[in-house]
Amino acid sequence: MNPAIQYFKNIWDAIYTVSFGMIITLKYWVKEPPITIEYPDRLKKGPLILSGNSLEEIVSDRFRGYLTVDFSTCIGCLQCMITCPIDIIAIETEKRDDVRFITRFDINQSKCMYCGLCVEVCPTDAIVHSKRFEGACYDIKELCIRHVETAVPVAKRPSKGEAESA
Amino acid sequence: MHNLASIIQSILKELFGSSPSLDLLYTFLGYLVPCLTVVTVIGMIGGILTLMERKVAGAIQNRLGPNRVGPYGSLQWIADAIKLHLKEDIIPALADKNLFRLAPYIVFVGTVLTGLVIPFGGSFIVVDLNVGLIFLIVAVSLVVIGLLMSGWASNNKWALLGGIRSAAQIVSYEIPSALALLTVILITGSFSMQKIVAEQGLFPWQWFIFYNPFTFIAFFIFGIASLAELNRVPFDFPEAESELVSGYNVEYSSMRFGFFFAAEFGNIFVTASIATAVFLGGGNIGLDPYESGIGYQLLMVLVFFAKAIPLCFVSLWVRWTLPRLRIDQMMSMCWKYLIPISFVCLTCTALWMLVFNGNGIFWRMSG
Ligand code: SF4
Ligand code: SF4
Repeated sequence: MNPAIQYFKNIWDAIYTVSFGMIITLKYWVKEPPITIEYPDRLKKGPLILSGNSLEEIVSDRFRGYLTVDFSTCIGCLQCMITCPIDIIAIETEKRDDVRFITRFDINQSKCMYCGLCVEVCPTDAIVHSKRFEGACYDIKELCIRHVETAVPVAKRPSKGEAESA
Repeated sequence: MHNLASIIQSILKELFGSSPSLDLLYTFLGYLVPCLTVVTVIGMIGGILTLMERKVAGAIQNRLGPNRVGPYGSLQWIADAIKLHLKEDIIPALADKNLFRLAPYIVFVGTVLTGLVIPFGGSFIVVDLNVGLIFLIVAVSLVVIGLLMSGWASNNKWALLGGIRSAAQIVSYEIPSALALLTVILITGSFSMQKIVAEQGLFPWQWFIFYNPFTFIAFFIFGIASLAELNRVPFDFPEAESELVSGYNVEYSSMRFGFFFAAEFGNIFVTASIATAVFLGGGNIGLDPYESGIGYQLLMVLVFFAKAIPLCFVSLWVRWTLPRLRIDQMMSMCWKYLIPISFVCLTCTALWMLVFNGNGIFWRMSG
């Protein structure tokens, strides 16, 4: 290209590209709202804070939080305890009058690496990750969570058809 | 009565009478009070701009920016200043100690000196020098001495490279910015800032930016060149983080660093005010700045700030849009593009004055 034409084309390019970029940033500046969630200020906690998100809303559905156990479905098969790579689940069962009871179900949440293996292996989806993540406490022993206070009977084993449909 | 100092002096004279020794005191006070006010105003606006810079950055990147100190983080800049004061002041063992201590003040003094001749509207100008604009150009380039000094005195390779770059950059960009301002001087025939403002008017078609197409271009050349003189992105070579860590101020800590910081952000406001006064009509609302009442004078100040503050925001906006240039691009942009174009503007404005008998494009409208 003729150098003289190139010279003016360069000027035009500079003006065009700079204004193009500035318009894009202006759009973001003026239009787009911030996506930051002001944790924990803007959480729906009490009646005083009306606007804002609840804890449920700010974590995604597949979030791996603290483990919870649903004892209406847990069959006491100990699969989760066996599969845990770092052995932090402790389950004890006891047989009383032909009914098995779970007398202990401890998960040491301070060591858990949230790998999710126990969740995957559970045949009845009794043990799942909750959305809870606020675990700061003053004594690390508080993080060893006892899910069973008084012995609970194990759930009935689902029949084959039920298990498949579930 | 052409500046604030003489007004204060005459008021003091009326109040306390006059005698040779008292007059000396009046002169001293007359200049001291406006000077301190200007230092405070520039320092404060610089501080607020550091906050706004982070706010604007946040808004552009869909973040929030500072939001902890005060409502919406509005007191963050005060917290930062206090923090800087409380930090330990470290001087490297092998640094040239005297130069090292002196450099931040020179940079800051450069900023404050420019503040002396800025017409803030009405009679609010510390001193209306008859070489006002030349003084401005000189004072702005005083910064380069401070930067080079800090780079040399730090005894640090990064700092030295930053200092050298700033010298090359500021000296080059001084030329187009001065030439762009000279186009306006051709029209007014005076370097006095108050005169330049007085020649313009309230309405946009009376401003020098719309005087003819060449002053319009000159305004943008001044804008680009002053961005480079401020060491702002996209021309922040002296402190290029990715190459030089922090450039010329890498060894500084505590309030010495704070002075560099305040000077940088104060300079944003100063150049925005220069552009406002020279090209955008300053605080002119079509009334005489010295004779009208105090209410009108404050209105002029308001008009001035209403024009200058958005220009500061443009500087922040550019910073969060453009990436840094390469150093050869920066040099070729100055010497191949800005300087020739500003010469063309200067010559064509001179011809324009000759051909159109000193009238602007909108001369019929502005009467
Ligand atoms: S998530 Fe992993 S580490 Fe945590 S309890 Fe389950 S298997 Fe063990
Ligand atoms: S939680 Fe699931 S895997 Fe663990 S014992 Fe109960 S049923 Fe078995």
